[in-house]
Amino acid sequence: MKGRPNLYTSYQGETQLFSTRTQKVAIVLFLVVLVLMPFDLPIIDKIPFVRFLGDNTWLRVVNRMLIFCISALGLNILSGVAGQVSLGHGFFMGVGAYTAVLMGGANTSSLWGWGLPMWLWLPAAGAVAAGVGILVAPAAVRVRGLYLAIVTLGLVFIGLHLSRIFTEIAGPGSLGRKWPKLQFRIWKEETPLIDFSDKGHWFWFDISRNQKTYLLLLGLTVLFALAAANIGRTRTGRALAAIRDRDVAAEIMGVPEAKYKTIAFAISSFYAGVAGALLASMVGQMPPEFWDLILSVEFVAILLIGGMGRVSGVLYGTFFVVMSHRLVEEVVKWASRQAEGEGTFAALWDGLISVENGDFGFITLSESALGYPLPASALDEVIYGLLIVVFMLFEPLGLYGIWIKIRNYWKGWPFSY
Amino acid sequence: MKNVRKLLAIMLAFTVIATACGSDEETPTATTAAPATTAAPTATTAAPATTAAPATTEVAPEVVADIIYDYGVTEDTIRVGALADLSGVFAPLVIQIMDAQQAYWDMVNENGGIAGRQVELLVEDTGYDVPTHLEKYEIMKDEDNGVVFISQSTGSPHTSAIAEDAVSDGLGIIPLSWYSGWPDPDFGQNIFESGTNYCYEAINAVDYLASNVVEGDAKLAILTYPGEYGQDAAAGAKIAAEALGIEIVYDAEAQVVPGADQTPVISGLVDSGANFVWITASPSVFAEVFGGAVAQGFEAVWSGSLPTYNYMLLATGLAPSLDAYYYQSGYYLTWNAGDSEGMTNMVAELQARIPDKPLSDVYTTGWTAAMATHQILEAAAAAGDLTRAGVIAAANSTDIDYQGLAANQSYSGTPNENIVRESYMFDIQADLFDAEATVAGGGSTGSVLMNDGPILSDVTAAHVYDGACFKSE
Repeated sequence: MKGRPNLYTSYQGETQLFSTRTQKVAIVLFLVVLVLMPFDLPIIDKIPFVRFLGDNTWLRVVNRMLIFCISALGLNILSGVAGQVSLGHGFFMGVGAYTAVLMGGANTSSLWGWGLPMWLWLPAAGAVAAGVGILVAPAAVRVRGLYLAIVTLGLVFIGLHLSRIFTEIAGPGSLGRKWPKLQFRIWKEETPLIDFSDKGHWFWFDISRNQKTYLLLLGLTVLFALAAANIGRTRTGRALAAIRDRDVAAEIMGVPEAKYKTIAFAISSFYAGVAGALLASMVGQMPPEFWDLILSVEFVAILLIGGMGRVSGVLYGTFFVVMSHRLVEEVVKWASRQAEGEGTFAALWDGLISVENGDFGFITLSESALGYPLPASALDEVIYGLLIVVFMLFEPLGLYGIWIKIRNYWKGWPFSY
Repeated sequence: MKNVRKLLAIMLAFTVIATACGSDEETPTATTAAPATTAAPTATTAAPATTAAPATTEVAPEVVADIIYDYGVTEDTIRVGALADLSGVFAPLVIQIMDAQQAYWDMVNENGGIAGRQVELLVEDTGYDVPTHLEKYEIMKDEDNGVVFISQSTGSPHTSAIAEDAVSDGLGIIPLSWYSGWPDPDFGQNIFESGTNYCYEAINAVDYLASNVVEGDAKLAILTYPGEYGQDAAAGAKIAAEALGIEIVYDAEAQVVPGADQTPVISGLVDSGANFVWITASPSVFAEVFGGAVAQGFEAVWSGSLPTYNYMLLATGLAPSLDAYYYQSGYYLTWNAGDSEGMTNMVAELQARIPDKPLSDVYTTGWTAAMATHQILEAAAAAGDLTRAGVIAAANSTDIDYQGLAANQSYSGTPNENIVRESYMFDIQADLFDAEATVAGGGSTGSVLMNDGPILSDVTAAHVYDGACFKSE
């Protein structure tokens, strides 16, 4: 009987993260592929997606995706598990980023920085963001739904304002300042113990900066994803889900609402703070305007598209939202090459893509101004917006829901209906 | 009606910000060794070239054989990159800048290219987002499909974020940003700023207007954005005021905050008794402050940093006041201003290549950036070294001739020796402006060149450059 899907003989069995052997094998294989992805290896490089995502020109995008993933996992705990809407997630990322730069950044005549090592500033970025989250939580206890969204929205603007006042931390105006690099030091010594921000030689092969950063981020993402999945299985997770499903009923059952909402805010902000610090550190220089409303909305979009409340939904959503821009660009470029060439589908692509001025086709690479034909750079925004609407209307479970439907179809095959 | 106005304001704001952050590239068209492209009708390198194609094919084989190259160059192509904001806040301006650059390279290619190679412009959209900028930079630096030189990197923090990498990858970059920190080698050895900077521009403008336009003793008011843009300009205005003994009656450095209520600044200005205003902001914020002050009967000579003004403001009700009070400052000539060789060439080429596009002052920005890149690449080819390192070496030893479109530029010697100090001043004549005009008709954006050429204050000429006027760290 063991190993059958959906057959649980104990509570423990039902709450297992990976309940069947197939799942366990699949996840291990998946992780192995992910670890080996950036390296030029014979078999790995034949797998669709993996074969180009591991290229150096893509790896930075993948790295950003991993960081966004950590942050989105945090918002998922707040919005997906505990059901609290937040438009202030970008603000908490900013809190983390500025904690990192204050603790790890360089000290100059006009900027504050303590030059501390990464093992201090990275957890501190999370901790300070969590602390701010705890300060904000009382508001969430008093209001909910749309009103909570407005309260958290306010945070974004307060953050932007603070960044203008404290130019010693944020750097002057739109130029921003330099962030500490992803380097592991014991204390403030010259040569870092492990340097993730420069190419080098590990074991018996050469490794680029992006590959190093990728491995670090992959490790952190796996860690944070496991933690997030586990939170859902604990007493805290069940309390949060109870509050999400009906807060009044949860309180009647003896779930202290204020306490658990505060916990949800703290955990979510911790994730955001760490992600913010990692992102700013990887990029190296950020203007304060980066941590704005658009960033926060992007995370809401990740949850909507991927599917709320599920760790795997967050992974799908992040992949889609972060990668779509670049993927659409590349597809259009590829299609326009096809349109120029000979072949069965050339005519089809030619009809879609306008290669030269005045050519028929509604997408163009040669024009950048908005209008007809539509420039490729704007196409992705259109797709993105449409998808959010489509998912809201037809697939509230997001990409995760689609995956479940596909899975169930094949599970029941040939008796699917 | 209110919505329309709001929309216009937002669009203007975008343009202003865009200009502020970075749209300065002035590159000359003239080649180093021999003016090959712009000068096509007259004399190209060695061979007479009315149609340059036969000339290059003759010359090319021997030249090509000797040229060494590594990334971004092949036997028949040279790839140049542009990190352009095609979908972000500065897109309206950057799109026009890219139109001009593309037109320039089309012209070069029709005339035989560089050393027998066709130039491909690889444009990547950054969306004015720093992480995306870095991701697109990875494409530029790629050893197989990358470029040999980046003729535009939009935005200050964005360019700053790739400055260190540019050194380790050996890639040269022209920034679309005029911060006075760029020539400082500590900031980025491989960043080749084109044109003067916000700081020197302010010194020149304050000196020129105080001596020639303001009646009586100048009483100066300084209103700027916070940050490297506004405060760099404020630093310049203060250097000028101190050196020339101009009284500063109202100092609102860093107090004009985008998106904030500008009423306190406006009333402070009106009450100050100033007769001369220097403002560094975005066009929309400028319009708000300028319009507010004028509405209260405030009369003074106004001027501001290049990105503060956009000629499209002449399509608003502010046109008569701008005509009466405002003087436009810039680092290169505005559309169809003056009668230099470079302007005549550029206008003629753009009329032939993009006749239906609207008029824009930033075509010169793109055109001059491409000119600088072209001359640097020609110099590298002449030296037989089109590797990235060879191009950097060529950039560091080339004098760029903008044919009168902008003050000539050199990157050789120390920053203090080669930094550009000249800027331009324009009088606004609203009746010359036509909102519907296209490139085909030539026309004017309403800016008339003053002083028949560049202006240069004695203070700027004597200033010893040792890093940015306004330091961020």
